[in-house]
Amino acid sequence: MNRRQFIREVFLWSAGTTLAIPRFTILPEAMAAEKPPALLSVAKGTEYTALVARVLQPLGGMGQFVRPGDRVVVKPNIGWDRSPEQAANTHPQVVAAVVAQALQAGAKRVLVFDRTCNEQRRCYANSGIERAILDLKDSRAMIEHIDQRKFVPMQIAQGKSLTQWEIYKDSLDCDCYINLPVAKHHGLSRLTLGLKNSMGVIGGNRGKLHHDLGQSLADLATVIRPKLTIIDATRILLNNGPQGGDLKDVRRLDTLIASADPVAADAYATTLFDLAPDAIESTVAAHRMGLGEMALDRIKVLEA
Amino acid sequence: MRKPGLLLSPSAWRTIGQSLFFLLFLVLFIKTDYAGVDELTWAVNLLFRIDPFLALAAMLAAKTVIALMLPALLTLLLTLLFGRFFCGWVCPMGALIDSSRRLFGRTNTLIPEPGRRQLKYYLLFFLLAAALFGLPLAGYLDPFSLLVRGFTFAVQPGLDHAATTLFTWTYQQAPPWVNAVTEPVYALLKRLVLPFSDKVYALSVFSLLLLLTVLGLSWVERRFFCRKVCPLGALLALVARFSLLRLSGGSAECGQCRQCRSVCPMAAIDETRAIAAAECTLCLDCQTHCPRSRFHYGWRRNGSGKQTTDLSRRAMVASLAAGALAPLALSTRPHARQAEPLLIRPPGALAEKEFLGLCVRCGECMKVCIGNALHAAWLEAGLEGVFTPRLIGRIGYCEYSCTLCGQVCPTGAIRKLHKPEKQAVVIGRAHFDKNRCLPFASGIPCIVCEEHCPTPDKAIKFREVEVDNSKGERVKVRQPYVLDHLCIGCGICEHKCPLSGASAVLVTSAGESRHADLNIRDGY
Repeated sequence: MNRRQFIREVFLWSAGTTLAIPRFTILPEAMAAEKPPALLSVAKGTEYTALVARVLQPLGGMGQFVRPGDRVVVKPNIGWDRSPEQAANTHPQVVAAVVAQALQAGAKRVLVFDRTCNEQRRCYANSGIERAILDLKDSRAMIEHIDQRKFVPMQIAQGKSLTQWEIYKDSLDCDCYINLPVAKHHGLSRLTLGLKNSMGVIGGNRGKLHHDLGQSLADLATVIRPKLTIIDATRILLNNGPQGGDLKDVRRLDTLIASADPVAADAYATTLFDLAPDAIESTVAAHRMGLGEMALDRIKVLEA
Repeated sequence: MRKPGLLLSPSAWRTIGQSLFFLLFLVLFIKTDYAGVDELTWAVNLLFRIDPFLALAAMLAAKTVIALMLPALLTLLLTLLFGRFFCGWVCPMGALIDSSRRLFGRTNTLIPEPGRRQLKYYLLFFLLAAALFGLPLAGYLDPFSLLVRGFTFAVQPGLDHAATTLFTWTYQQAPPWVNAVTEPVYALLKRLVLPFSDKVYALSVFSLLLLLTVLGLSWVERRFFCRKVCPLGALLALVARFSLLRLSGGSAECGQCRQCRSVCPMAAIDETRAIAAAECTLCLDCQTHCPRSRFHYGWRRNGSGKQTTDLSRRAMVASLAAGALAPLALSTRPHARQAEPLLIRPPGALAEKEFLGLCVRCGECMKVCIGNALHAAWLEAGLEGVFTPRLIGRIGYCEYSCTLCGQVCPTGAIRKLHKPEKQAVVIGRAHFDKNRCLPFASGIPCIVCEEHCPTPDKAIKFREVEVDNSKGERVKVRQPYVLDHLCIGCGICEHKCPLSGASAVLVTSAGESRHADLNIRDGY
């Protein structure tokens, strides 16, 4: 067998194998190619409405993410029956400002929701978010309670730990999904940031994700893909998270982080807690799957 | 037959009155729910607070005056003035019995007989005596308790399930133009009549059957329950005997015409056409149907309408004695020494004996419970504890900042607590079943319980340990444990435990703050 013959044989045999077992997985390299540039914006300030506008400026403003006529979903953390100063939920002023920005950018509809851990109505009311949205007095801005009928079973083709789960229809069927988590402590995952916030759009027995939380969150991130992640670190919860309750555990930072790269946003936010990005399993797992950048030296931080 | 100028017959006016009060009942029932603020803005438990039977039973049991129940006095005073109008015009159970008559009733033309209508008095005496001596059973037969339990446990959740099934089907299968109609209808129903979230209740079918039985007794004879069973009716009847205003009119001169007697649902009119004021619910059917318009409502005249209640002194004494003696047997049960460990009472519940005495089994706390945590007990609290509220952690949990159950309790069996007070009340304590808990049993990470533990300093903490998992690998996991002095027994850990089937965290009543002594009597 000469070299030419050998190559032909290999080509034929491997082509045959490829035909017999069709594979449509996207390779990590290909995914890396389509990933957004790791630009990240940080802003500090005590006037949160203005702060939201400022943090978006270096990224090109909200118009970069929301086109006129878009159906937008803003997904804050409304998980707990806690007040804004207890830092368990996204700050209501931040949520309202993000919604207002999206409306200004010409969104046809901005929907706000979360699958809460405590009773829904109490969370929506006591987080202050329901009031804040209603006070915008814009019929295009809607805050809705979870409708169980809208959870649709979804294949997670690239999932390693999670291959199928029920996901809230509106979070998939929209033109722009904005992830708006609050940065805080969490017993199991150490911190809950952007990727963890996606647990608020899934149905079923969510506690099961905890069995392999880091990888599960990365798997979810392959299907729940925010165009924009804004991490609320206006005040952060350092202990007894994710719901806190003791103001001694809260630290005021007056900071917002924004990025189109969900992994970069989480990686940077981790440093606010004096931790390295690789302390958070979900960040590591998502980076490994090519979903974004976690190396701080490869993230371009724009201070606004 | 009709007075000129009066467009509607007297019976029709009564039907309108009944409907309005039934509507009020429904509004109060639906308003018995969280409304976006911590404090309820409506006196949703009003119906129970104007119930003199429950008021009397609860006050006898507690041997004190319950200020919350004083509106019941008004009912008694009005009855003394107007007669037993409450049963004919106000009682929502009466309205339901009347309106469901076409379903259950028989159309016989026989003149109704009084029958053994004394039964309800004996029952009343028995229940009141038993309440006084320590066997509180009043709530079992009170018409409002029966009604609200049936509606709370079965009717409303059942309707919700039916509606959700239908509208889920249209949502998933029907074309958009159908949904353009059905979705707004569903949203409207959800806003107005259906519960916010789907709920399940222990003893739901049993409670529904009891309610249907009360309605179904109309098959035996009209308003059977009101005539012969209802202890509230009996109490009002005892007062109505002396009412200042009453119906009268017929006499022996009416001859063969027995129109009034055949339409009277209470069999309150005797052969001489005299109306027993104790039995007459002022439904005004006789007035409507009398061919000669002889009946009129007015001040009592001396000598008119005298009828005895046919109470036998012997039976009366016997029922009082039975009520007084029955509680003697209670102290012979194991309950007297060892409370059922899985019987977890709502926060603010009084010590067990006082609690049982005051609880009127109205189901309001279970209706309002935002976490669907409170359920009707079966025999966990003894024969006298059926339908009293207990927390079942696997089904629902006690929401940390919610104080609604204490707000709706009409008798104060569950005290009204302010938020900080409530958050400090211990209703039980959690413990782990390490044979099932994943980090212990199989070395798998979990601690969902720790995540949800609501106390600001978490009562569930964890240790990081190295164990061999079920695959034989050496792994680091966080194993949870409970700090007793921080745990308040809310049950959220038991509820959220992601294991299928039984939870790996269990809450028992151990350590509850209302009576520390009962659990350890005769200990070491």
